[in-house]
Amino acid sequence: MRSFWPIYKRELFAFFVTPLAWVLITVFLLVQGMHFFLIVDHFASAGAASGDQTPLQAFFGNTVLLYLVLFLLVPPMTMRLFAEERRSGTIESLMTAPVSSAAVVLAKYAAVFTTYVAMWTPTVLYLVILRRTGEIDRGVAASSYLGVLLVGAGYLSLGLLMSAMTKSQFLALVLTAMLILSLFILGVGEFIARDGTLMHDVCAHVSVWAHMNDFASGIVDSRHLVFYGSLIVLPLFVTVRAVDAWRWG
Amino acid sequence: MHVSILILIATVVSGAQSVISVQRLSKHYGTKIAVDDLSFTVAKGEVVGFLGPNGAGKSTTLRILAGFLGMTSGSVEVCGHDIRQESIEARAKIGYMPEAVPLYEEMRVVEYLAFRAELKRVPREHRRSFVADAMGKANVEDVATTRIGHLSKGYRQRVGLADALVARPPLLILDEPTAGLDPNQIRDVRDVLRALGKEHTVLLSTHILSEVEASCSRVVVIAKGKLVAAGSLDDLAKKRRAAGLVVVVRADEDAALAAVRSVAGIAKAEIDDRASRVSRDPGDPCVVTIRASWSKTLDETAVEGVIEHAVSALVSAGCFVREVRPVKSTLEEVFAALTTSEPEVSS
Repeated sequence: MRSFWPIYKRELFAFFVTPLAWVLITVFLLVQGMHFFLIVDHFASAGAASGDQTPLQAFFGNTVLLYLVLFLLVPPMTMRLFAEERRSGTIESLMTAPVSSAAVVLAKYAAVFTTYVAMWTPTVLYLVILRRTGEIDRGVAASSYLGVLLVGAGYLSLGLLMSAMTKSQFLALVLTAMLILSLFILGVGEFIARDGTLMHDVCAHVSVWAHMNDFASGIVDSRHLVFYGSLIVLPLFVTVRAVDAWRWG
Repeated sequence: MHVSILILIATVVSGAQSVISVQRLSKHYGTKIAVDDLSFTVAKGEVVGFLGPNGAGKSTTLRILAGFLGMTSGSVEVCGHDIRQESIEARAKIGYMPEAVPLYEEMRVVEYLAFRAELKRVPREHRRSFVADAMGKANVEDVATTRIGHLSKGYRQRVGLADALVARPPLLILDEPTAGLDPNQIRDVRDVLRALGKEHTVLLSTHILSEVEASCSRVVVIAKGKLVAAGSLDDLAKKRRAAGLVVVVRADEDAALAAVRSVAGIAKAEIDDRASRVSRDPGDPCVVTIRASWSKTLDETAVEGVIEHAVSALVSAGCFVREVRPVKSTLEEVFAALTTSEPEVSS
């Protein structure tokens, strides 16, 4: 694991040195800013009519915009992780250095997750703004951010795996986007399938939307934690095996 | 025959301190066999040329040695570490330069080398000096702060070399270090290699023979994934005995040719038109260069006798002999003969 640190640093460097990173961050903050503005505007005009919801809940839980952003954000963040190295051949220098496959995979994952966290950090300002006009529930804020980080971590893990599956960055991008989208659509199935059927239960269990609703209401359900834990760990594990497997290709 | 004995002796002598030991290595890609039952060793301090035509399996073998590819069967030990069982320890002993010299384009040379040094576990306090040292040896100091993506091919190649050197590994594995360079750059790299040979054990692959002659103490030749020869350059040259004889005589063309052809043991004799000075003046006999080749059955000791007979035949035919010399086969000819014919494994 000694090789974790240098690879982690290089990955961060490689990401922030490209214009892609800054474009992604700009678009992300622009969309989130608009999103926040619309919500605040809505609450300001609707006043008491907005019921028992808080702006925080609406921001993290009740709109499709959050997932749309993740859907657009994660694939381009993860696509290059392995695909680029394999296409350009630098994977050969990397893997002939004294590094373990697990260290390489974890370092790359940690780097992209750090970037993801960095993208969300400026949104903490919204909480500061909200506090100037009223109370916010710290617990809800914490659980909301926990939810955002978990969902993102799961998606990034899937993206990393897809990037290890192909030498083409574009294919990695498309595969990741399709996976995230199908996971989301499967979640929507909760509202379509009849109550009590297996389909309904499965859909409810993987419904990112429902999960985020819970997190945004301050509910940290252990089932959700297990779900996202698996969504993070399983793809990472498969990725390590895939990296080992190239050797025998 | 004697080559195999030499190899045997070399193996026994170097056995204790062989840096690379490849035993019965095979690599299959699906049904295609890239490396077929290959065995050789490299002793400490040697500079070994790994020769073979394109597609012979050189890069595949080196990638297996460097721990990038897995083998189908056989075993590889690097500095006493099995490349499968103790892969990371083995990789820590190797400075490997891949054929394509893949580098991170977005990094500056010095950043890249510092990254590689850290990756290769150079302690923090030595990192700066190791990087400076590697840049000095590979001659890339003048581009230290240039982005790698902006470098020319020659510089990229040398950055790759600096990368291989940076952790001061005991063993360097270089896959075609001079590929794609111009003659001046090739000479530079060759000088660097010669200097490196003093401190490191080097295994370098190439299909350029002059490179081997310039920098290697020993060669391993493979073709179609099989070992065809291993030994010193002289051993290889001996493997193909002198191909024939060149005589320069001042005499009449036909008489001289007839005299050479009359000698038993000479299969073929021809006038070398380019080297001969043919005069139209009948009073001035021409200077003729004749190239003769031995018949196939001739052995090493009989060759000398044939040379003597050829000279006396020429003299008695009234020719004035100016020069007689055996033709050494060039390394190119040895290489061609070794790699195009059916492999004759020396063991």
